[in-house]
Amino acid sequence: MKSHTVIGVLIGALLLAAAMFLAGRVSVSDDYVTKDVTKIADATDVIDEALMMSLAQAKNFHRKAKVYMSDGKLEEATAAVRQILSLSFPKGAPEADDVRLDARALLAKLLVLQGKLDEAMRTVDEGLASSQRESFFVANLHTVRGEILEARATNYDAEGEPSKSLAAAARRSAIEAYDKSIQINEKLQKQLMENR
Amino acid sequence: MTHDDESQNAPIPEPLDEASPSERARAKAFADIVDKAITGRAPAVMSADDRALLEVATVIRAANGQAELSTQKQRSIVEDALRQAIGDATSQTSGQLGVIPIGSARKKWLPWALTGASTAIAAAAMLVLWLRVPEKQVVSTPTSWQSRPADPLVGPIARENAGDASARIDYLFADRLEGYRDRRLSGRGGKR
Repeated sequence: MKSHTVIGVLIGALLLAAAMFLAGRVSVSDDYVTKDVTKIADATDVIDEALMMSLAQAKNFHRKAKVYMSDGKLEEATAAVRQILSLSFPKGAPEADDVRLDARALLAKLLVLQGKLDEAMRTVDEGLASSQRESFFVANLHTVRGEILEARATNYDAEGEPSKSLAAAARRSAIEAYDKSIQINEKLQKQLMENR
Repeated sequence: MTHDDESQNAPIPEPLDEASPSERARAKAFADIVDKAITGRAPAVMSADDRALLEVATVIRAANGQAELSTQKQRSIVEDALRQAIGDATSQTSGQLGVIPIGSARKKWLPWALTGASTAIAAAAMLVLWLRVPEKQVVSTPTSWQSRPADPLVGPIARENAGDASARIDYLFADRLEGYRDRRLSGRGGKR
């Protein structure tokens, strides 16, 4: 074969290889980027170091609060749980909402134990207002809200006859809160069953 | 040379004068020389005046477009030009060798034709691949690797467990750690 022909065929092969590379038919070897794959699923929502760090921190604060609670130190336990609310989570991580709502539920219960019903109610209402979606944690917060209202009704009962109507109103509100919690739980359970 | 001397010594005739016999004889002799030169039979020996006049006559004739190469000469020149165009190293001066049939040199174009064809095909393939719409194929990330709501993991929270956030965070952390380790240790990457 003449040298012209060899050179021509080589040039053709090189151009073809370049075309295939540019068109993405052949990619750099990587287990995650496979041949003929032109779009990778959005991997921005995977569990990463930042999320694991935040969860570990929340876990540690809960552990700390538990130790204080077992020692009867409710104020220290409350402070430990409050620190969970100020933890930084990766933007858009659904776990962040869940962990914070659960911390608010525990915080409210600790405040109720300390007789700080208004602060407990504020903690719960702020959590409900900031929630992005319905979840079992939101339902749990409604449950805690019902408990706060029950505690408030009990206090009104202790005040005697003049606060009887207030106590009744608080109990009605507590029932509404429990109903709301039940409603959310049923809805979510139904969704989970459908998704299985 | 005799008649040259005579013509030089003779008086210059008037334009309308009748030509003398000697003048007619000289004109006829020069006409014969011109005729022979046109047919390629020019005399080897002639006077300097006749040669100069012959050159002028040849130039005048060529300027009038009447000078043509013979058919054989034309063919030889064309064959030489073609041989040079196809790179024939044995190209010779026309007329010295027999004419090579042009058909025998046709295969010399084959390498160039192959080169051009393969390059054109490659260029066309490049163009097609460049312009084609990429096929969308999505590789889904495993659910266990994803950041996601904890509802399916935790389930409904009973009232007596409303404050057991510590137990739930332990459970959640363990589950997410498993997914995180799976992703990292599998070596398939993915990034937030």
